[in-house]
Amino acid sequence: MAVRNSAFGSAEPTRRDRWMWRAAITCALLVALLLLHGQRWDVVMASGPFLLKSLGVSWLLTLAAIGIGLPAGILLALLRTAGPPPLRQIAVGVIEVVRATPQLMVIFWIFFAVPAMTGHKVPAWTAAIVSLSLIAASYLAEVVRAGVQSVPRIQTESGLVTGLTRVQIFSSIVLPQALRNMIPALIATLVMMFKTTSLIYVVGITDFFRAVILINNREFEPVALYTTLAAGYFACCWLLSWIVRRLDPAYVLAH
Amino acid sequence: MRWWVIWDYREALWSGLQLTVEITLLTMIGSLLLGTLVACLRQLPSFFIERAVQAYVEVIRNIPSVVKVFFLYFVAGLDALPAAVLGLSLHQSSYISDVLDSGFRSIPREQSEAAWACGHDRRQIFLHVLLPQVAVITLPPLASQFIEIVKNSAAAMLLGIKELTFQTQNIDVETFRGFEAATAVTLIYLSLALLIAGTMILLERRIKWR
Repeated sequence: MAVRNSAFGSAEPTRRDRWMWRAAITCALLVALLLLHGQRWDVVMASGPFLLKSLGVSWLLTLAAIGIGLPAGILLALLRTAGPPPLRQIAVGVIEVVRATPQLMVIFWIFFAVPAMTGHKVPAWTAAIVSLSLIAASYLAEVVRAGVQSVPRIQTESGLVTGLTRVQIFSSIVLPQALRNMIPALIATLVMMFKTTSLIYVVGITDFFRAVILINNREFEPVALYTTLAAGYFACCWLLSWIVRRLDPAYVLAH
Repeated sequence: MRWWVIWDYREALWSGLQLTVEITLLTMIGSLLLGTLVACLRQLPSFFIERAVQAYVEVIRNIPSVVKVFFLYFVAGLDALPAAVLGLSLHQSSYISDVLDSGFRSIPREQSEAAWACGHDRRQIFLHVLLPQVAVITLPPLASQFIEIVKNSAAAMLLGIKELTFQTQNIDVETFRGFEAATAVTLIYLSLALLIAGTMILLERRIKWR
């Protein structure tokens, strides 16, 4: 792995460095193992299927939020850059308000707003998916906007000269290039969405976070359970960013 | 719509706002200190530190802030407020260290080499040559990090700290006026974000004009 230049020069890793790093990692893992050895892992094991199912719920929520949020985000970004006046201001308003309020607050707001406006109680799942999609759309809109702006204007102009329509230019010239440019920000936002699903338990959906809290309320084994919780989220977020990195054409070409 | 509940609960909302601001300020200080430390460490030419920082950032970024706060509360056994502040500081420090790191990288290397040649040691170079410039360059991205802290402070309600988001839920439980409360509190959060953005813009102008 290349070591980047820092203010005090660059350091090519020597063999000693690499071995020291491996030794440190091993030591850290051993210490962690020692600390966690006496814990009641049987509690976690006994709830294994329940935990896995709730982890599936977290994934489902994330994928639903991204699946709805990405097209909606592209639409919002389009409206913000090229929309007609009233729609443009609405798009700016939605994006900025959602991005400036806590995600927890957005979830609460959707959960309370729909019954206040329609008079009907809204199912928890609907509220969850709507609010998560809204959050995803607003954050992704900014990612998409930055990506679209990174594509040189001359590309659009060349498209116009060739006689393509605006829609064709956007969908087959600008968007594919923009998508490639925004991969790092996209990964960050997708991981953020997975982390945001941990807040959805406030509306009463049993996702991974709530499942662990429920088990902990019954068994009170915080060390084993919360270690599992942290490890589970770490593995999933890491997996998510790994998958997206694999989808990046630049990465595929480089490896 | 019965907006008077907001007026009835003005004291609860005010105390909630105070707690939110308190958590935010403490987290700002904590994450800025920790983030600066990590960013400075990253500038040292050591493969070992580079890898250790990478591991730190990966671990912190891939775990939700709520989980970190809960972990500190239940496993490390801290009180609610220290757990929230420390958890949020850890969380934000990984992002702030990245912001500061790109600030460090934008300063030409010749500057630290020149200072080195003049006989300054590393501590002096950091304190008198690099950090003052980094602070100015990174003000705008730091503003958005601070707004992020205000937003993340809502996670403290899950430990039963009675901050703004907690008060929203409380109003809903007591009066079923969740929509009005949520709207009002959203507006309060928006004005906090605007306040931070405004302060940072003023600060930036003042520094630039000097």
